[in-house]
Amino acid sequence: MILWILLALMTAIVAAALLYPLSRRSEALAPDNAGEIEVYRDQMKELDRDRAGGLISAEEAEYARAEIGRRLLAAAGKQGAGADGISKTSALRKLAIGMVTVVPPAIGLCLYITLGSPGLPDQPLEARLENPGNDMNLLVAKAERHLAQNPNDGSGWDILAPIYFRTARLGDAELAYRNAIRLIGPNGARLSGLGETLVVANDGIVTEDARSAFEEAVRLEPGNVRARFYVGVAQEQGGKAAEAKATFEEIAKASPPDAPWMGLINEHIAKNGGTVAAPSLGGPSADDVAAAQDMSQGDRQEMIRGMVDSLASKLEADPNNIEGWLRLVRSYMVLGDRDKAQAALKTGLEHFPAEGNEGRQLIALAQEIGLSAAGAANPGATPKMGVTQ
Amino acid sequence: MIVEIGHFALVLALATAIIVSILPVVGVHRRDAGMMAVATTGSLVMFGLVALSFAALTWAYVVSDFSVKNVWENSHSLMPLIYKYSGVWGNHEGSMMLWLLILVFFSALVAIFGRNIPETLKANVLAVQAWISLAFLLFILLTSNPFIRLDPAPAEGQDLNPILQDFGLAIHPPLLYLGYVGFSVCFSFAVAALMEGRIDAAWARWVRPWTLAAWTFLTAGIAMGSYWAYYELGWGGWWFWDPVENASFMPWLAGTALLHSALVMEKREALKIWTVLLAIMTFSLSMLGTFLVRSGVLTSVHAFATDPSRGIFILCILAIFIGGAFMLFAWRAPTLKAGGLFAPISREGSLVLNNLILTVSTATVLTGTLYPLVLETLTGEKISVGAPFFNMTFGLLMLPLLIAVPFGPMLAWKRGDLYGAMQRLWVFAGLALLAGLLLWYVQNGGPILAIFGLAIGCWGMLGAVADLWYRGNFGKLPVMTSLRRLKGLPRSAWGTAIAHFGLGVTVIGIVAASAFNTEHVVEMKQGQTTDAGGYALTFDGFREAVGPNYTEERGHFTVRSGGAVVADVWSSKRLYTARRMPTTEAGILTFGLSQLYVSLGDPMDGGGIVVRIWWKPLILCIWGGCLIMMVGGFVSLSDRRLRVGAPSRKAKPVKAVMEPAE
Amino acid sequence: MTRKQKRLAVIAGGMSFIIIAVFLVMFAFSQSVAYFFMPGDLATANLQPGTRIRLGGLVEAGSVERGQGSTVRFTVTDGNATVPVSYTGILPDLFREGQGVVTEGSFDAATHAFVADSVLAKHDENYMPKEVADRLKKDGVWEDGTGKGMAPAKDGTDQQTKDKTGQVVGSTTP
Repeated sequence: MILWILLALMTAIVAAALLYPLSRRSEALAPDNAGEIEVYRDQMKELDRDRAGGLISAEEAEYARAEIGRRLLAAAGKQGAGADGISKTSALRKLAIGMVTVVPPAIGLCLYITLGSPGLPDQPLEARLENPGNDMNLLVAKAERHLAQNPNDGSGWDILAPIYFRTARLGDAELAYRNAIRLIGPNGARLSGLGETLVVANDGIVTEDARSAFEEAVRLEPGNVRARFYVGVAQEQGGKAAEAKATFEEIAKASPPDAPWMGLINEHIAKNGGTVAAPSLGGPSADDVAAAQDMSQGDRQEMIRGMVDSLASKLEADPNNIEGWLRLVRSYMVLGDRDKAQAALKTGLEHFPAEGNEGRQLIALAQEIGLSAAGAANPGATPKMGVTQ
Repeated sequence: MIVEIGHFALVLALATAIIVSILPVVGVHRRDAGMMAVATTGSLVMFGLVALSFAALTWAYVVSDFSVKNVWENSHSLMPLIYKYSGVWGNHEGSMMLWLLILVFFSALVAIFGRNIPETLKANVLAVQAWISLAFLLFILLTSNPFIRLDPAPAEGQDLNPILQDFGLAIHPPLLYLGYVGFSVCFSFAVAALMEGRIDAAWARWVRPWTLAAWTFLTAGIAMGSYWAYYELGWGGWWFWDPVENASFMPWLAGTALLHSALVMEKREALKIWTVLLAIMTFSLSMLGTFLVRSGVLTSVHAFATDPSRGIFILCILAIFIGGAFMLFAWRAPTLKAGGLFAPISREGSLVLNNLILTVSTATVLTGTLYPLVLETLTGEKISVGAPFFNMTFGLLMLPLLIAVPFGPMLAWKRGDLYGAMQRLWVFAGLALLAGLLLWYVQNGGPILAIFGLAIGCWGMLGAVADLWYRGNFGKLPVMTSLRRLKGLPRSAWGTAIAHFGLGVTVIGIVAASAFNTEHVVEMKQGQTTDAGGYALTFDGFREAVGPNYTEERGHFTVRSGGAVVADVWSSKRLYTARRMPTTEAGILTFGLSQLYVSLGDPMDGGGIVVRIWWKPLILCIWGGCLIMMVGGFVSLSDRRLRVGAPSRKAKPVKAVMEPAE
Repeated sequence: MTRKQKRLAVIAGGMSFIIIAVFLVMFAFSQSVAYFFMPGDLATANLQPGTRIRLGGLVEAGSVERGQGSTVRFTVTDGNATVPVSYTGILPDLFREGQGVVTEGSFDAATHAFVADSVLAKHDENYMPKEVADRLKKDGVWEDGTGKGMAPAKDGTDQQTKDKTGQVVGSTTP
């Protein structure tokens, strides 16, 4: 409301200021050659000064004087152009006054209502930070400011890191985890958090960096299921199915049978050639497990699939990217989609013949993860491979 | 609420602009002083409203109100306060606001200080200013509104482009805009005079202070921008012939020509049509520059958010104003009477030569800037026109002008005596050549052509001295008398001499920095030493440092001369955290007028780093000369005569009649 | 000389200056203009070695190789073809693998490699190859809550790509 009153006031002041010159009876205008005449007189004076100072010769001065004199005469001749006084009640004046009264409120209001946001109050950051409410972003911002001033507050970084991770600010999350580890020392949670950040940042691949973080986490905290899980995934991605199976089976053994992650673990065990202990040990029903599995599984698979699909379409547009092909093949295997992996390998080999350097890399990968490179090279042959080693 | 008031003020300014665009013109037509007076009040009101609006936006920046989209996009709560202020114009929307603010500021100045101008002319000038304001207000409100809000508001801004987080941004754009928006007044004067169909010597005098002010600010703005690019980009160059630079340089060239041709018009009433045309062209080039920069049609090293719809809008503004002005010109120009006659060898003749060279050079720069655009539209071929083109064409074309400058002031109006001028100047020419040789020798040789380049620079400086020497009639009169004569010279004469002197200084800087510049690209490890420009630089290693919104690696160098430590310099690589953007902060050491410039490159395997070291002799002369030109501009601006107009003692009765109408 | 002759002389002088300027401009264009090519255009361009050109494209990921001193080698690609480039000097701050770059120089007659004497990286931290931007869009990263700017950034597409928020993070907690 106050805003509207102020806006109305502003409009009124502007209209009043513009009306002021119109509201008076206008005086007769000065003849508009007055200014000109004054300028020429000044030029004449300057000429005299220059002459007196000896800056110009007498002859030049005479010429110039004659010229300025002519201009002066011409200007004076234009006399009579003074203005008529016009009464403030003339029709034109009325029209002008009407325009000044109508235009500011009309244009102002119409445009402002379409463009402005009258309902929004000012929101200076200081005031908002003092009273952040439940706004996660503000809380983060507040923590960030605190850390910018006290960059050595390790526990601050420790709190912030998982929040960054959840809001997908992976670069910040990595930095925060590393800061926390540097300042208050490593522990299982921090290391596995760092590892997980790196994994997500690398499209689901457990990199060397991430793997060492997880291994360190397991060393410090043998009961850290998350870290152990990723160690298993690393082994699985590295093609070491037997080791991976052992890792996953250990996790399964150590976990209560109704743990929510059992579904995922069992799946990985199966993938690496193990047999899953039947969920008949009591505890959760098969449905429960399936539901839990669905949830985590669904989330995860969907995410990775999205990434892999986009990689595939990128390669379709630009196939000259050996890195991309290597990653695509590996990713399909991670997803358990052997057929697609095979197909990708084949297409990759079309672009990078097996004889070439890049082609050899593809074949090496195929052998590492147990795909048939020969099958890809000869489209006729049926892919034959041992799923379990 | 403050933000919304700012937004509303902008909308009200638009409404006011509509009124001021119409009423004064009708008033002049119907000779209604009241309606003409709306121009004065309206221009002041507009300035008040836009200033209020600008202040509201600035406030939003200072308190980091991220509910304003523009603030969120271009600010960060941790940014130092000064960059929060300067960040207002460090982006497209904000810089258009600054453009507008300066435009209405000039209107307000005309409204306040234009008391010496006839009422009708003033009303028309202010109305034309209001047309331009109207166009840009519409542009801002409809395509580049800085007051768009966000709900809910983000918690942190996206930070200002780190390149712009520099003191340079605080002053460069305002100065530059004061310059090229200032030419809008000349444009308005030209259009208003064409509307009235009356252009005479007095008109030239009334326009002169505005041309001078705009020219002075533009000189400062360009020089400032050049120095900023030099120290901030870390490339060691001070002028790249980049389209955006050309965009500000072309109005400067045209404005310089205008400054000189208006002089002829004022004295002799000659070159009327040409002067009016130049006034229109100068501001047209300013607007063209705005279009080129804002629409992104040309690739440039400058980063601005570009948006095709904005480009089209500005193109329309451009077409309407330039097209309209030229049509008016074509219609009215033939009715203008020719002015005084003059011989080819005369002061007028020399100013015509100045105009010829300056406009042809402007045309060359324009061709080089637009040619890639035209070619791509016509044939689809992409080309780049770079520094070699401009150096070859512009550099060669300016040469005769630089040689001719000292002659100009020596020649009399109407009919000059070239032989006499030569007789007076040959001593100075000889001195200039000697000085060139000496400079060349001091710099340990170099290309022979550099001697002539340096001599031409010295010739410009000595020519200005010669001008004052003969005006004071030194050598013939007693020294005291001469000094008194000098003191009695009009300020504009001093301004001319100072500005021409500054031009010479700049030329020396350009020649020396191009001819004697040495560059060393070396890989350095801690403790290693490299020679550059007669100094030995030792790399002492890195230190990490944390700024308010960046982290940096600072490399430290010790500079020795003949074994003794003379200075030390830091050069660093910064990483701005919010945008994860690296920048290079060059370390610059000044020795007299020369500089040692140290810039860091990429780290190498094994702990070394690539370091680029330049020795730039006399480079400060480039900007020092511009500074001197600027001083010349201000001195000339202070000339009493520029304020002469209607009200004065002799015209008392007239004044008495006029005042109430103001 | 009569007044008429004088005037003619002046006009002739002015015209000849303009003509000189025009010739100078034409000459300079023929000498110093560099045509712009993408690697894919080069096969059909039929360039003489030594002709100055501008070569633009993306710096191929993993191709940057620092040699002796300050010489750097990298590969410029446009997706269709690649060109190896060598450059001696300091690369701009914004030069990064996978980012856009424009280099100016010429092909060496002996080695057929492109020798650049200037390298410009786009002076804009938001620059993203279109392909990458498209991919991010396809992944649905724009939708909400993933960038640091949070929800309102509907049109701030380019801003969001600047940190590594490229992937949607589902909880992978086992």
